[in-house]
Amino acid sequence: MSLANTALIAHTRKLDLVIRHVLAGLGHGIHAGRERGAGVEFSEYRAYVPGDEWRRVDWKLAARADRYFVREAERDSHVAVWLILDASASMAEPSRSVDGLDKLAYARMLLGCVAAIAQRQGDAFGLVVLGSGKVTFTPALRGPRHLQRVLSQLQRTEAEGDLPDTETLKASLHFAQSPSAIYAASDLLDWPSPLSIALTRLRQMRHDVRVLGLQTQAEVDASFSSDLAYRDPEREEGVFRFGADLKEGYRRNREQHFGALTAQCRKNDIPLTLAAIEQAPGEVLRRWLRRPGR
Amino acid sequence: MNALWWLALPILLLPVWWHRRKRVQNKAAPMATARFLPRTEPRQTRVWLWRDPLLLLVRCLLLAVLIGWLADPVYPFRGDTVVVTEGADPAWALREAAQAGLANAERVTLPAEQALGWVHTHEREWQRDARLLVLGDVPMPAAQPAFGRPVEVRTQAAAPVKVERHVYIASERAAEWRRMFAAQVGPEKIIVDDTPDAATTLIVWDRAETPPASLRASLWWVTQPSAFPELAKARTLSGMRYADSARGRLWHHADWPPRDPEAARALLDDWQQLHIKPRPYTMSSQAFAADKDANAPAPGGALRGILLAILAALFVLERTLTHARRR
Repeated sequence: MSLANTALIAHTRKLDLVIRHVLAGLGHGIHAGRERGAGVEFSEYRAYVPGDEWRRVDWKLAARADRYFVREAERDSHVAVWLILDASASMAEPSRSVDGLDKLAYARMLLGCVAAIAQRQGDAFGLVVLGSGKVTFTPALRGPRHLQRVLSQLQRTEAEGDLPDTETLKASLHFAQSPSAIYAASDLLDWPSPLSIALTRLRQMRHDVRVLGLQTQAEVDASFSSDLAYRDPEREEGVFRFGADLKEGYRRNREQHFGALTAQCRKNDIPLTLAAIEQAPGEVLRRWLRRPGR
Repeated sequence: MNALWWLALPILLLPVWWHRRKRVQNKAAPMATARFLPRTEPRQTRVWLWRDPLLLLVRCLLLAVLIGWLADPVYPFRGDTVVVTEGADPAWALREAAQAGLANAERVTLPAEQALGWVHTHEREWQRDARLLVLGDVPMPAAQPAFGRPVEVRTQAAAPVKVERHVYIASERAAEWRRMFAAQVGPEKIIVDDTPDAATTLIVWDRAETPPASLRASLWWVTQPSAFPELAKARTLSGMRYADSARGRLWHHADWPPRDPEAARALLDDWQQLHIKPRPYTMSSQAFAADKDANAPAPGGALRGILLAILAALFVLERTLTHARRR
C-alpha cells in the first residue's frame, strides 16, 4: 500500500472498486470471526443474486432446476456490525498534500471496507450517519444487496452541519440491542460531544466499540500554509491565521486535546485508533480492526 | 478644428470607471482544527475588481474609434512622389525625376489645373521626410501657393492645343465680321459656319427681325436691340449692354461691328476671358519651402470609411456581449 492507493480514493467515485482494491491487499481473515461455525443450520433457498459466494450455491438444485439457488443458513452470525459515520462539516477537512482527498472520503472508504468484510462473514451490518444535526439510519441486514445499499448511502453522504445533540442521539441508541460491534469514524475534534457520550454509553452496554480518529498530515505536523486566512467550518468565530509563531501553541493545544481524549477512551475501555488520511488505507484498516491486546 | 475632438479622449475613463468596482474581499479557507489556534483580527484587503474585461475593451475601443471618426485623422502613407500633369512630355518628366533623384518614386498623373490644389489638399498624407516634385505644364495660380511641406515645381510649357470655335454670322455686313474674326491669333481657330448647329458657341445677330425660337447659343452679339425684347432691361458696362435670355447671353453695342483694331481686339479678349476661359500661363520652375503659416488643409476624410466600418462592427460586438452578459 502506498500513497497511490490514497490518491485512488480521492479520484475514484466508485466506492466498491476502491474497497475491493483495499481488501485485496489485505487478504482474508482480518476479522477474527468469533462466530465461525454458526449458520450451518439450513433455513431456506433463495434466488442467487450477483455478489453471492459461489460456494453457497446449491449445485444439485441448480442441475435440477436450471437456475441458481443459494442455501440460506438460519443465522450466519448473531453479531451485528454498526458503522457510525461522523458527517459534520469539519469532516470536509481536505488533505493539504493530496488533492481531492478529505476526511469524509477516507472514512467512507474505511467504513465501506468494514461493511464488505461483515458481508463476507455473513454478519448483519447497519449504518448510522451523523450530520446536519440529525441521525440517518440504515438498518442492520445481511447480504450483498444490503452492502450495495449501505455503500450508496455512504456515497451520498455530504459533510455539513453539526453533530446531532445529545438528546437526539440518545433517543436513537435503541438500535444496539443484541451484542454488536460498533465502528465509529470521526475526526474527534469535539470531545466530549454527543458522539462521545453515546459511544461511552454503548461501551457501557457491553458492545464492542472501536473508534477511528482521522487526522491530516498537516494537522499532525502543524504545517499549514501561512498565506491563507482560515475559518472554522463549524463555528462562526471569525478568521484565524497560521504562522511559525503560532505553530508551537497549535501543537500544544492539539496534543492536550488528544491526550485528554485518549485518556478518557482508555478509562472507558474504548480502543482508539488515530490515523492520518494520507496513510495507506489497508494499514489503517488493519490497525483499526485488530483486537485490542493482540 | 477636427483635431480638437482628440480632447474628448478622457471620455474613455467612463467605461473604465464603470467596470472597476472596489470590493472588500475576505477569503478564508476552511480548517477543521482552527479551534487550536488563537483568534486573529481579520485582515481585509480592498481590491480593485475588473468585471468583464472583454466588454470593457470593446467599449473603450468603440469610444476611441468614434472620437477618431469625428477627428478625421490623416495617416501619412505616401512616400516620395512625382506629380506629373497630363500632357507633359514623358521623356522630359523621366529625365527631371531622375535628376531630382526620384526616378523610383511613386507617380501621380493629374490634370494640370488641379495639380497644385491636389498637392495642397493632400499634403498631410506624405510622410515627414518624403520628397514631392511636381512636373509638367503647371498653370500659374492667381495667388502665391503656400504649402506646409517642401514642394518643388519644375515646369515645361507644353505646345498649346489647337481649339476650334464655331461662329455663325447673320448679317448683311458679314464680310466685316469675318475680317474681325480672321484677325484672331493664338491657338484658337475661329470657324464661321454657314448654318448654326450645336457646336456653335457665338451667334452674331446683325438683323432687325427676331431670330427663330430654335436658335440657341451661349453668346449672342446683337447690333439691333429691337430684335430682343430682353435687352430693354439690360445693364450697361463701358458702353456695352448685356442681358440673359432663353436663347443665351446677349451682348449689345451700338458701334458694332468694331471699326478699329483695338476695339476688335478688346471685344475678342472679352469673349475669351468671360465666355471661354483665360489662356493658361505656365508658371516658372521654383521650389516652395515649408511654410509655417500655411493654412492646414481640411482633412479629406480618407480614413472615415474604414473607421465607420470598424465603428459599426464594434457596436454590434458590444451589443452582443452586453446581451450575453445579461443572460
